[in-house]
Amino acid sequence: MAAQRAGAAAALPANRRHRGLPRAVPRRAEPSRAEPGAAVMAAAIRRLLRAGGRRGAALVAAAGGPGSQTLRLIYTTTAAWKKNVAASGPEKYTEAFIKKQIEEFNLGKRHLANMMGEDPETFTQEDIDRAIAYLFPSGLFDKRARPMMKHPTEIFPEQRKIQWGEDGRPFHFLFYTGKQSYYSLMHDTYEKLLNVQKHQDQLAAQDLPPQKEKKNLVGSRWLTKTELEEMLLEKLSDDDYSRFIQLLQKLVMMPCGNIEENYIKKFSREISAQLQKVVIEPLKYDEQGVAFSTGEGARKTSRATVTVYDNGTGKITVNGIDVLHYFPVLQDREQLLFPFQFLDRVGKHDMVCTVSGGGRSSQAGAIRLASAKALRSFVTEKEVESMRQAGLLTVDPRVKERKKPGQEGARRKFTWKKR
Amino acid sequence: MLRSLKGFVFHPLKLDHGYALHTAAKDCLSSVLSQDVQIPAERPRAVFYTNETDPANHTEHHEGRHYSIPLEEVKAVFPHGLPYRFQQQVKTFNEACLMVRKPALELLTYLKNSNFAHPAVRYVIYGQRGTGKTMTLCHVVHYCARQGWLVLHIPDAHLWVKNCKELMQSSYKKERLDQPLQASSWLKNFKTSNEHFLKEIKTQQKYVWGKRESTEQGRPLGEVVEQGLARVRSASDAVGVVLKEIKQQCHLGSFRVLVAVDGVNALWGRTTLKKEDKSPVSPEELTLVYNLRKMMMNNWNGGAIVTTLSQTGSLFKPSSAYLPHELLGKEGFDALDPFVPVLVPNYSQREFESCYHYYLHRKWLQHEQARTEAGKEELRFLSGSNPQQLERLAGPL
Repeated sequence: MAAQRAGAAAALPANRRHRGLPRAVPRRAEPSRAEPGAAVMAAAIRRLLRAGGRRGAALVAAAGGPGSQTLRLIYTTTAAWKKNVAASGPEKYTEAFIKKQIEEFNLGKRHLANMMGEDPETFTQEDIDRAIAYLFPSGLFDKRARPMMKHPTEIFPEQRKIQWGEDGRPFHFLFYTGKQSYYSLMHDTYEKLLNVQKHQDQLAAQDLPPQKEKKNLVGSRWLTKTELEEMLLEKLSDDDYSRFIQLLQKLVMMPCGNIEENYIKKFSREISAQLQKVVIEPLKYDEQGVAFSTGEGARKTSRATVTVYDNGTGKITVNGIDVLHYFPVLQDREQLLFPFQFLDRVGKHDMVCTVSGGGRSSQAGAIRLASAKALRSFVTEKEVESMRQAGLLTVDPRVKERKKPGQEGARRKFTWKKR
Repeated sequence: MLRSLKGFVFHPLKLDHGYALHTAAKDCLSSVLSQDVQIPAERPRAVFYTNETDPANHTEHHEGRHYSIPLEEVKAVFPHGLPYRFQQQVKTFNEACLMVRKPALELLTYLKNSNFAHPAVRYVIYGQRGTGKTMTLCHVVHYCARQGWLVLHIPDAHLWVKNCKELMQSSYKKERLDQPLQASSWLKNFKTSNEHFLKEIKTQQKYVWGKRESTEQGRPLGEVVEQGLARVRSASDAVGVVLKEIKQQCHLGSFRVLVAVDGVNALWGRTTLKKEDKSPVSPEELTLVYNLRKMMMNNWNGGAIVTTLSQTGSLFKPSSAYLPHELLGKEGFDALDPFVPVLVPNYSQREFESCYHYYLHRKWLQHEQARTEAGKEELRFLSGSNPQQLERLAGPL
């Protein structure tokens, strides 16, 4: 117990993933031979130190000759023996720690499956996510802030192994460049390039036409700098990254670049379809042969469903009540008018709506969105596009902002008093 | 189309000129009222006017058109009957133009064909808020005034059951309450509208007003009215006397009586008045209401009773109520039963166009977009073809 303050990292295991030089381990004499009395006294003084001020004396069991133990007084400040959090760099996880976390995760997974009444063997990550969302419901907007249970490899970032062996000699031949993974990657890629050129020359020598099939680059993108850094586990500069991407481009542009397709695939990602084509439903016809179409809309907490009929006179019914009685305020009726006026179809359609939730203004906004969506079926593509640009088809994302603690409202602070 | 003749200068604001129908040149020249000279006007404008100022001659042909009432006549016939906003419009436009609509035409036909030997028929005009019930009533009142009937027009019965500053105990009957202010104001307006009748009708018994005042038998009714106006304390009783006399004498046939009450549901509802001991007053405890209720019964003949239901001024009634049984309540419905209901709807397409063109012609709609077709559709949508809403919308434009 005595005098083992700085010797926390006693023996580093060889396979621990740790970056940088090993910490110096100050050697201390084994206090096993200290007299019990000295140990007790040292402990008492340490307690005094912790309770007392910043400066203090410490009694340390010093190494004397065998059998003799002298207590020496040294004067230090708390700054010396306080742990410097900033300088120690990002948190380092031992391999044992990670392994333990994985075991705990698996055990927890089985427990969770048990809790949810499902089979522990076939409990996938989606099931876990669903179970956690059910058991710990959270209204936080940021998904990353919500409770989550994921495999430790996803949570704890990967860290590099020790790059040298027992004798201190590094394993990789490019270690002393400082960016060994990056340069080795450039080396490999250039090798591929040379390979392709050789193949091209061979084909040219045989007078065969070069292969013209080009890999389609349209639906894919290269890795971003962050992704590349994650892959290589070391920091890159922008310049490095751009050089690498240029090399890849050159490789792909070459006529026989398809040979190395597998290699290139490692560095490209598919872009999923960004523009989701919104399907506009066709018109439906009811018994009388009148064309109609439905739409749904929402604003704040109101939800509205609307049926717009063709060959109408501009009559609108909301929840069974005439629009003049349901929306006595002109502003709300103007909101309802907007989609029709935009398309110049003011007196031509009848509308039957149901709406619930929210207040008068948000109900009017919800009906407006729903009717705009319903009118898409009656109207050409160009007009739909112009409606979209006018903002008629966009859901209004504004909701009530949360009240924060320490403030009276979402933004309003308490009255400031000078005293 | 008539062109302006040389020597005639048409002044659009002079009211003894009517507006000519573009087709009937011959009629215009031979019309009794005046020489009709018309500014070179566009066709659409002329369609929505009619020069037929006598409601007796209004037929379906005139439906949807505006006819104007000369201002002097307005002052004489409607001292207190027109809605406030319409009075403001009359002042602004310097003319009183009323639209001829189907419910009014219906009522006029009923009145024309009614047999005055039978007990008085009661007509109840009802409809949603702002659809034109009071204006229909005014149209009927104008017709009857032109025909020479005695018109008992109570502009708003709700005014008698709420916001009364002075409530006095009636001298005639102990349990009833008098309302001197309302009674005297009504008497004043009644005097303006029915001057000549007051000289003709004679009292049939003696009425004693106080220690030193009394009206002998055979005196003209005008004296009773003067008495009521001079001695405000006995105004409510004067009103009662007037109603009683008229009811007794109208069956003789020398004159017809039109009882026109606006907001008749006030007579059978609740009041917001309180007696001195803070107990609520029910309508039959008010002299005015009591006497009017007697008038509303159909036990007399020689006239008609035309009434309007109104939710706007009513007390303790939800704003969505507009049907007779909702607004009258059981008591009122039984008292008025049987009656002829007349529904007044919102503007039809044609009526809306007519009103819109009227505002356009009178340069009331100044906004340049209001003149376009799209603007008209917008107005139609936003007002829901409701006359009141359209009038309020057109105001700021």
